[in-house]
Amino acid sequence: MGKARSLLEYVGSLTVLFFKTVAASFKPPFKYHQLIDQMNKIGVNSFLIVFLTAFFAGIVLALQTAYAMRQMSAEIYIANIVALSMTRELGPVFTALVVAARVGASIAAETGTMRVTEQIDALESLATNPVKYLVAPRFLALVLMLPLLTVYADFVGIMGGFLVGVSKLHIGADLYLKKTFEALVLKDIMTGLVKSVVFAFIISIVACFEGMRTRGGAEGVGRSTTQAVVNACILVIAADCFFTALFYFIW
Amino acid sequence: MIKINNLYKSFDGRPVLKGVDLEIRKGETLVIIGRSGCGKSVLLKNIIGIIQPEQGEVMVAGQNVSQLSGRELMRLRMKFGMLFQGAALFDSLDVYENVGFGLIEHSGLPKEKIRDRVKWALENVDLTEIEDRKPAELSGGMKKRVGLARAICHNPEVILYDEPTTGLDPIMADMINELIVRLSRQLQVTSVVVTHDMTSAYKVGTRIAMLYEGKIIADGTPDEIKNSDNQIVRQFITGAAHGPITANRNHEPADPEQPGEMEGRGKR
Repeated sequence: MGKARSLLEYVGSLTVLFFKTVAASFKPPFKYHQLIDQMNKIGVNSFLIVFLTAFFAGIVLALQTAYAMRQMSAEIYIANIVALSMTRELGPVFTALVVAARVGASIAAETGTMRVTEQIDALESLATNPVKYLVAPRFLALVLMLPLLTVYADFVGIMGGFLVGVSKLHIGADLYLKKTFEALVLKDIMTGLVKSVVFAFIISIVACFEGMRTRGGAEGVGRSTTQAVVNACILVIAADCFFTALFYFIW
Repeated sequence: MIKINNLYKSFDGRPVLKGVDLEIRKGETLVIIGRSGCGKSVLLKNIIGIIQPEQGEVMVAGQNVSQLSGRELMRLRMKFGMLFQGAALFDSLDVYENVGFGLIEHSGLPKEKIRDRVKWALENVDLTEIEDRKPAELSGGMKKRVGLARAICHNPEVILYDEPTTGLDPIMADMINELIVRLSRQLQVTSVVVTHDMTSAYKVGTRIAMLYEGKIIADGTPDEIKNSDNQIVRQFITGAAHGPITANRNHEPADPEQPGEMEGRGKR
């Protein structure tokens, strides 16, 4: 009972911070240079790690699918399966998990350190709203960059599958691409992108929330960083489950 | 100018302030003394609404701080400058951006004006030509002075000092004390200094109040405090290990904001 209540309180606090952040994001003055800076830190600097993850995921997915399909002599369908799995599921989820680990940890550690060294109090003492100054740019940067990273991961993953299909299974390059484009419709990519926007909400809000409520010096910063990554990952998977079911039934 | 009435605040169920009554008059330098972790910083943060009280009120120029709207609170905070214990400089920004933060964010002044103002603030704390440096490149004493420059840059009416001399060597501590005295005279500001350093308290204070077990137990001029008959005050100002404060071990304070920062009486 107590646990259920604290879980509800936690989700409630996240929701409150989410709405405060949305309100702060649309309130002038807009800090473009801060946003660009965060988009660079959060997005551009994540391209390599997303590339590696998606590429390997694409290869593994193609190989595992080929293993199953071989029994039915239907290897040609790996193009369709890789394309659909990457865009609908693996692209958004893997990207979100990798970004939650890399960016979520860095946001929580940075804001957590700012909390314990009284920099957040200093912001407030200088008549500056920490949600507007710290949370909003990170939130917006993630909401803009995570879908971009997801499209990039979709593409790289499909290329990983393509590599396996062409080199290992000797499917013609033209045929593989044709099958990929046949399988994909805009809806598949869109559902992935809708998910990635929700994941961006989760990662940014959880990381900032955990960071801002840090207490107790270096140990506290470590604790809130771990908590931010763990909670963000769990919530990403939970939200993925929810949206997959939702899209399955309504879209 | 500032009136604190019957203020209560607790953290995780542990009461820290238990009915504080205190008045801060315009133009004076009030020093609040007390053991580490007794709630002095909490009291200071209540004044500018960073921490909200559970009961009681803080009146600043006739306004109840905890009942102000977001915008009114922000406007009120611009009347204050605060020097934090560890200076709390923003480490992603350079010295210019730190000192000019309030003006850059809120004043709408042109860059040259802000630059001049930052230069003026830094000169007031005896620093020059360090605008481009990052806080990580500064020594402890310099950080404190940059923090002080940041606190005075937007021309506040009240400056709040949270343990201004903690962690500094005795010479740097005395320099900071002199700065506090000079600034309060030159800028004609009201100052509230929270400290457990009695040398500092006697040097800067026009009035001293002692916070003990969540209440103000003594309030007077430095001379009155020096000659106080109150045994608790006497133990504290003389820095004796034995006396009424330490007689009851249950009253050992622990900093509610910064666990692990127990440093005894921390006398210099």
